[in-house]
Amino acid sequence: MPDDTKPDVTKAIPKIDLSDSIREFSRENSDYYVESFSQIQDSDENVTPWNKAALLFGPAWCAARGLWNLFWLFTIAEIVALVQIGRGLWGDLGAAKLAEAEQLMQRAQEIRFEGGMAGVTGGETASSAAEIAMNLEVAAQAATLEAQAAANLWWIYLLVGIVLFGVLRYVMGKYGNRIYELQYSAWRVNRKIASGLSTKRLAFALVLLIVMVPLTLYRFTATTPVSWLVGVPVSNVYYTNSANALDSWFDSTAEAGAGVFDGITAGAQTALDVIELLLVDAPWPVVAVFLVVIAWRVASIRVAIFTAASLLYIGLLGLWEASMVSIVLVGAAALFCVGVGIPLGIWFSRSERAYAVARPILDLMQTIPPFVYLIPIIAFFGTGRVPGVLATIIFAMPPVIRLTALGLRQVPGHVKEAAVAFGATKWKILFGVELPLATPAIMTGVNQTILMCLSMVVIASLIGAKGLGQEVLTALQFVAKGQGILSGLAILFCAMMLDRIVQGRFQRQEDQ
Amino acid sequence: MNNDVVIELNNAWKIFGEHAEEAMQAVNSEGLGKAEILEKYGAVVGIADCSFNVRRGEIFCIMGLSGSGKSTLVRHVNRLIEPTAGEIFLLGEDVMKLSPTALREMRAKRIGMVFQHMALLPHRSVRDNVAYPLEIRGESKARRWDVSQHSLSLVGLDGFEDRFPRELSGGMQQRVGLARALASDPDVLLMDEPFSALDPLIRRQLQDQFIALSEQLHKTTLFITHDLDEAIRLGTRIAIMKDGRIVQIGTPEEIVTNPADDYVRDFVQNISKLKLVFAHTIQVPFNQYKPMEGEDLSRSPRVSQDVDLDYLIDVAVKTTQPTVTTDENGNDVGVVSKDRLLQGIRDGK
Amino acid sequence: MAEVISTVEILEEIPEVDISDSVRNFAGQNGDYYIREFKRIQASKHGFCWTFNLGSAVFGPLWATARGLWGLFWIFSVLEMVLLVMLGLGLWGDLGIDKFNRADRLQVNYERMLDRVEAAREKGDEVGVESFQNRAASLAKARDKARAEGEAIAAGGTRLLVIAIVGLILLKLFEGWVANIAYERQYSRWRGDRTVRSGLNWSIGALGLVIILFVYVVTLVRFTFSNPPDYIVEIPIGKKLYDPIASGIDYWFDLASQNFAFLFLGVSRGIRIILDAVEILLVGTPWPVVMAVIIIFAYRSAGIRVAIFTAAALVYIGVLGYWEKSMATVALLGTASFLCVAIGIPLGVWFARSERAFSFGRPILDLMQTMPSFVYLIPIIAFFGTGKPPGILASMIFGLPPIIRLTTLGLRQVPKDVVEAARAFGATNRQILRDIEIPLATPSIMAGVNQTILMCLSLVVIAALIDAKGLGYDVLEALQYAAKGQGILAGIAILFCAIVIDRVIQGKFKDTEKGG
Repeated sequence: MPDDTKPDVTKAIPKIDLSDSIREFSRENSDYYVESFSQIQDSDENVTPWNKAALLFGPAWCAARGLWNLFWLFTIAEIVALVQIGRGLWGDLGAAKLAEAEQLMQRAQEIRFEGGMAGVTGGETASSAAEIAMNLEVAAQAATLEAQAAANLWWIYLLVGIVLFGVLRYVMGKYGNRIYELQYSAWRVNRKIASGLSTKRLAFALVLLIVMVPLTLYRFTATTPVSWLVGVPVSNVYYTNSANALDSWFDSTAEAGAGVFDGITAGAQTALDVIELLLVDAPWPVVAVFLVVIAWRVASIRVAIFTAASLLYIGLLGLWEASMVSIVLVGAAALFCVGVGIPLGIWFSRSERAYAVARPILDLMQTIPPFVYLIPIIAFFGTGRVPGVLATIIFAMPPVIRLTALGLRQVPGHVKEAAVAFGATKWKILFGVELPLATPAIMTGVNQTILMCLSMVVIASLIGAKGLGQEVLTALQFVAKGQGILSGLAILFCAMMLDRIVQGRFQRQEDQ
Repeated sequence: MNNDVVIELNNAWKIFGEHAEEAMQAVNSEGLGKAEILEKYGAVVGIADCSFNVRRGEIFCIMGLSGSGKSTLVRHVNRLIEPTAGEIFLLGEDVMKLSPTALREMRAKRIGMVFQHMALLPHRSVRDNVAYPLEIRGESKARRWDVSQHSLSLVGLDGFEDRFPRELSGGMQQRVGLARALASDPDVLLMDEPFSALDPLIRRQLQDQFIALSEQLHKTTLFITHDLDEAIRLGTRIAIMKDGRIVQIGTPEEIVTNPADDYVRDFVQNISKLKLVFAHTIQVPFNQYKPMEGEDLSRSPRVSQDVDLDYLIDVAVKTTQPTVTTDENGNDVGVVSKDRLLQGIRDGK
Repeated sequence: MAEVISTVEILEEIPEVDISDSVRNFAGQNGDYYIREFKRIQASKHGFCWTFNLGSAVFGPLWATARGLWGLFWIFSVLEMVLLVMLGLGLWGDLGIDKFNRADRLQVNYERMLDRVEAAREKGDEVGVESFQNRAASLAKARDKARAEGEAIAAGGTRLLVIAIVGLILLKLFEGWVANIAYERQYSRWRGDRTVRSGLNWSIGALGLVIILFVYVVTLVRFTFSNPPDYIVEIPIGKKLYDPIASGIDYWFDLASQNFAFLFLGVSRGIRIILDAVEILLVGTPWPVVMAVIIIFAYRSAGIRVAIFTAAALVYIGVLGYWEKSMATVALLGTASFLCVAIGIPLGVWFARSERAFSFGRPILDLMQTMPSFVYLIPIIAFFGTGKPPGILASMIFGLPPIIRLTTLGLRQVPKDVVEAARAFGATNRQILRDIEIPLATPSIMAGVNQTILMCLSLVVIAALIDAKGLGYDVLEALQYAAKGQGILAGIAILFCAIVIDRVIQGKFKDTEKGG
């Protein structure tokens, strides 16, 4: 057999001496770690030497050795265990039940008293009152008994707490070295990882533990902890004052800038009216034919069939007008986003400075839940269609800006250079080279913007925009499942229709 | 200024980085080196003190390894990169003094450029790509179509004008790039490693085609390459660059037979010298030659002293006699013995 | 200079490209005409040139469809339609009809008033006579005014007519001019792409004709008739189909929620348990402890600047009394994101492994994200009622897709050769997943976690609508009562929560990226 002739390579391999590096890593108590690490690394089975420091000091050891994740994990778990122990030792375990019993007793007495009063005037109510009072008293007694039983079970809490604590420490002692060895392996490739035993870390951890453990213990085991610990002890004066100040500031600003705000509203309103005239007032057969033929010409016959089916659904369910109103809202918002977003994206791709300023704003626009900026919009622009469109624009503008800037930045430098080398002007490069090459990215942005606009349809209805969103919103208020789902589907179909048409256009360009 | 000089670069410097100007001043006053500039100013020297002339109709090759600054250098000629210091003249005009409009004008009419990565516009047909420089100049469509058709036929791409670049192979794409550079009928061709990205076989074909085309059109060409073989095949003269400096300028033979320093020598070592070394370099003067036993110079074959070693070998293998070389009047001027020939093949001397 | 002269010679040698054959090929009918026109257009600089296509001028949109120029078709037909509506209004539209009707009504009132004047006079009521006379006079004035306005509008009809006719003539001129230029562009495109429509296509032209006739007639009727038929203005079906379908859905939902109550209740309970634990941790624990832990965590994962910001944000929240509500919101968010990650990553792994599962799952994921969030709040209410667990469920529907998608994406992007290498060394599937795929996919998975948390956050606020309480409820209330101050304060609190969470995760994310 070839095996016999094969030299045993493994025996010839010299052993690596890690002791110096382990010593460098662990610093304090290094001999111990050299030994235990080599045991861990040598053993094929799970042989781990006990770590007494970890066993004794638990989280403090973790912190001192720089194992922060472990520190937090065990601190929380140990606090839970300690809370159980504390409850068992001095906690008022039956307190809740006792309070309940007391309340029941009091109520029973009240009813008996009232019954007595009633007894003077009429008999029947008195006897029924007595009956109720009896029942209540029985319940109160039961509650008292339960409370006693609960108080007698103190040892269970104590036991659970002690066992939990013991298990935790056992795990620490048993696996402390193993985890520390992992840290050592990580440290070998990344010297930034904490090593050694740091008194600074230890002190920090001790401060944390001293603050956290007693406070939490007290909070959960005392019958009536002091109120400043339960809630933040601040009077609501600050709140009322700032709310009022904001109110008046908004009012005065809205008044002062009424001309501007009303102007914007009026302008947007006219634009919306014109689009609405096209889609809502135009006879529905014309609009339907228009949309289907557009879908066919711009995208494909399949998209046209899908569009026709969606329109059929909308028409048959009588959601035509609401849908058209929503499409107008989305269309206007999306048009504005694209019309403003693409030039902005171009600008940001040119000017590093402008982009540096704008990026946090864009991030913010996408991070803020749309609910939040509905308020200032209402304050300045009131309710209705225009504020709805504005909120939609804020929400949906970032993708198209971002992806336009991205697409333009990704245009290969050598292509642009070639255009420059042949004497093209900036504008010729932009329109002849950069924009055509960035089209895929820009179209992705446009697509995302449209979808985001549609997802705002319902939220815009919260501030008075009509259309499908309103249907969904009323359905939500009255839990009208059918209405909600039917109009929700209509929103979905509108979204997919617009999306497919725009995408189809783009895919065609790609194919060319 | 010599009317025959088309491109002239005098003491051009390019230093990249925020403190380029200060670094340049330091170079002028203190004569700092590349490493010191990087250390002191955090600036990188792209090209350092480069000067050369390109004469009308010649193919001037700039050869260097990647990072030697050759691509940076060629971009100075049409000011795609602004030099930190130095003078650039193109067709007698001071490029550095041109207004933006005049510079664009010059790029559009006087200079054609071919790029390593083709840099074709993917959304335009081959014809529209080739016609792009003319379109920038505002030529009519009919004119654009005529010229691009002609230009494509020059590079042998008739019938491909209605295709898109992605439908073409790499070699064909680069021919489109060449046709585009030729379309504006420029005085100067700048070629930035045009054949480096291609397969060896196709590269060879394109080199041949380019040589043929140059013989036909006589375009003044600045040709960048990292391949010494290519430089020797194509170049009338070659400049060798290292670390942003021009180490040596000369004809292919000068470079091969007389390398300026060890760097160039290393390069040249593996180059076949058979076609670059000529009989007059290795011959022993006729009157100093002492014939060995059995040798009779009167029976020796006679060749011109300007033939290359390749030819000499062909002649030598057919005879036992040493070869006698003659000048243009037919007078015997030298003798190349077989020993001498072998030595010449080995050393190039 | 000799060289320059020779180049000029070369230029003059350039042969002219003959496009005649290809244009004839392209244009089909009328080839010679288009050859001539295209050559003229091409010879002009900047493609600007006076040409006039009679066919296009006369037939407008029809010519455009027949020649396959759909863009022009839409522009021409919409413009023509607008002008035709104006023409129709001018010719037979009842312009000013409202005003004339008003004048007629006023006339009737006026006559009645005159009768009353007569009656008063007979009674000898001088005061009455005078007051009635005054009223009659003002009525007469109003009537005259209405009539005058009506006439003005009706007279405007002729103006409308003139504008429409002039507009039509100008449009026709424009159509004739622009046609050849656009057609030449189409030809240039067709040369590179033979799928571009060419020639004169009668069947497409016929389709265009049908569309145009239909659109023109219906639109004219709608806008120029004073009483257009109802079925044009509104879809005649109305809500006849809607109501039974809606109530049918209602019925099925009720049935399902009754029959599977135990299931829904179970899910609800399960979520409740996790939520309670998280709430005890965040709300129950004394606030100084929670604050300290959050700030330390921010510092460790994202640096001192974020820690300072976090501290400021927490002070804001605490001082304005939003502490409990914020923590409740964060508890909701934490539970939702935890569940998303716990469910999403295994699902993502599965989808990465099984092509079949992925092709099945992808449309569902798309649907989950495209569907407006409010829509699926409805079935959730129907099955799970209102409160916090349904709020968490809704957030999960919104937050699950990114984590699944990005886990799948990350695993699929693991280089094949690395997996192959591991397999070659005899690694098992589980080892490959644990040691190679997951570590290499970590950046992508972390990006998914980040997105999921942000998505959940935006929905946790909306979940206030189904009584999930928290900060969102304050904003909602403020929206309802237009209490700007309250809304802004609560909104800023949400914003701070969002930014702190986002920054901390981003910081963590950068750490893993550096480490990986």
